[in-house]
Amino acid sequence: MKPVYLHGDHILSPLGDGSQVNFAQLLEGHSGVHVHDRPDLHTRPICASLINDAEISGLAEPSEDYTRLERLLIHAVQALVSRFDIPMDHKTAVILSTTKGNIGLLRHPRGGSIAGSRVYLSQLATQIRHHFKLPHDLVVLSNACISGALALSVARQLLQGDQYQRAIVVGGDELSHFILSGFDAFQAMSDEPCCPYDRDRIGINLGEAAVAAYLSTERRAGSIAILGAGSYNDANHISGPSRTGEGLYRSIQTALTEAGVERLDYISAHGTATPYNDEMEAVALGRVGLTEIPLNSLKGYYGHTLGASGLLETLVGCHCLREGILLKSPGFEHVGTSVRLNIITEHRRAPLDTFMKLASGFGGTNVAIIFRNT
Amino acid sequence: MNPMQPVYITAFCILRNRQLVVDGRVVLANHSGLSLGDWLKSAYQQLGMDYPKFYKMDALAKATLIAVEWISRTLPVAGTNTPLVFSNYSSSMVSDDRHAAGIYDPDDASASPGVFVYTLPNIGMGEVSIRHQLHSENVFFIFERFTPEFLVPYVTGMLEREGLQQVLAGWVEVGADGTCDVLLYAVSRHGKLPHTIEQLNALYNKDYE
Repeated sequence: MKPVYLHGDHILSPLGDGSQVNFAQLLEGHSGVHVHDRPDLHTRPICASLINDAEISGLAEPSEDYTRLERLLIHAVQALVSRFDIPMDHKTAVILSTTKGNIGLLRHPRGGSIAGSRVYLSQLATQIRHHFKLPHDLVVLSNACISGALALSVARQLLQGDQYQRAIVVGGDELSHFILSGFDAFQAMSDEPCCPYDRDRIGINLGEAAVAAYLSTERRAGSIAILGAGSYNDANHISGPSRTGEGLYRSIQTALTEAGVERLDYISAHGTATPYNDEMEAVALGRVGLTEIPLNSLKGYYGHTLGASGLLETLVGCHCLREGILLKSPGFEHVGTSVRLNIITEHRRAPLDTFMKLASGFGGTNVAIIFRNT
Repeated sequence: MNPMQPVYITAFCILRNRQLVVDGRVVLANHSGLSLGDWLKSAYQQLGMDYPKFYKMDALAKATLIAVEWISRTLPVAGTNTPLVFSNYSSSMVSDDRHAAGIYDPDDASASPGVFVYTLPNIGMGEVSIRHQLHSENVFFIFERFTPEFLVPYVTGMLEREGLQQVLAGWVEVGADGTCDVLLYAVSRHGKLPHTIEQLNALYNKDYE
């Protein structure tokens, strides 16, 4: 397969508008996760990473014609397009990763010029297409919690052919009563900041982000190469991970084989802080013999940002690679998995050449992707 | 594999207008009077399989499971690494709407985990993976309409690059209004029907009798 390179990105999150701002916040150890009392979102206070609406009102994109999520996504893409001067023409594929899009509109219309049909993901995508006057449709990917990372693999596939020269991958989800009530019904949410891989972990914090990345097959100074990817289903359960980590194990094996790397320097894991997910990841990493590799989960900084998460966390990983920094995995104190992992407990400098991103999700899906500094 | 070598549609299943078509043959004739739920149940019974999990699934997962079950009788997939590349317009709207109805019920607002888990379009692929023990890649795309212009090069590229035997692909549209429009098919290296945009449009648009 032709190598595909990540050239740059834009991260819009509760930690700020811009990748550099976000990375500086992470270096300071700041987190976007806080307790919010938002009756419009949930019947009780939530511990989540929410983008401040006051900040959104400052965005340049018009509020009349676009939903909140559309504005966030358009802003992230616009920032990327402006910075890299990306032509929005027939040679640019735009891949949108989202799990639920404008789902907050369902049976809960906003009125004004926003039609209820915008709850359909391709209608959301059409807004983005029209905003950028793109001559073709976006490719919309909705694959539960692995969507963001899988979208990079899909972009890599699309860039193998002759049709496209470059790709923009954009990912985002917003929190709504729809999503929060569902995760609460699963008793999956923690009322306190989450603690991935810790003995006392009890569940996730949800989060919001809109992120965009620029990819092509052309190698440039400072770009990060996608070396290998694997994605396999557990074939075990639709709402819980396999106890043997089968799908993730196979995903990692395939990604390693394809990447052909001698070693990995860092693993950016999924680490949702649910008892089952983190244990499953530890088991899978044990099976491939990668338990010594420094590992973190970024959920303590951003929460679980759903369709954005795999992309957001990959992009943060790319910045870590470029800067040679391993970020602390927030919330971890006591070993809490049957297989011991090498969790990063303090920020530290380290020479980094390669890293692997992991993600797993509902429906039994898993993905592993390996990246290298160039 | 030589990139120039053609690939083929080796099996296909259509569920539309309360009619079930397998490899061009009408297996269950038009029952336009039936609700989607009742019709999916009769399509399931036609398979003569005993799989109680079926009754817990939402309509999107049921339709997906039925179509793949028929395809697997032409082309066995059990235990293989056959990737699933499915797509639709409505995502998981059939369950999204049920979940929304529950949480906005003015008299008894509530959320059910059994409903919420189906509010993702890839869950039907998860059900199929469990049923056939498919440890494979699952990708779910959302398009405005059935889009062979995207699927054909994408799936062909997967087969060429990754040394796979076959891929299951297609369209699984189940709307909140009870519409069902499914064309799922297997693509592999040997067969009679060429895996082309024209061929897929012909299969999709044909009236089967």
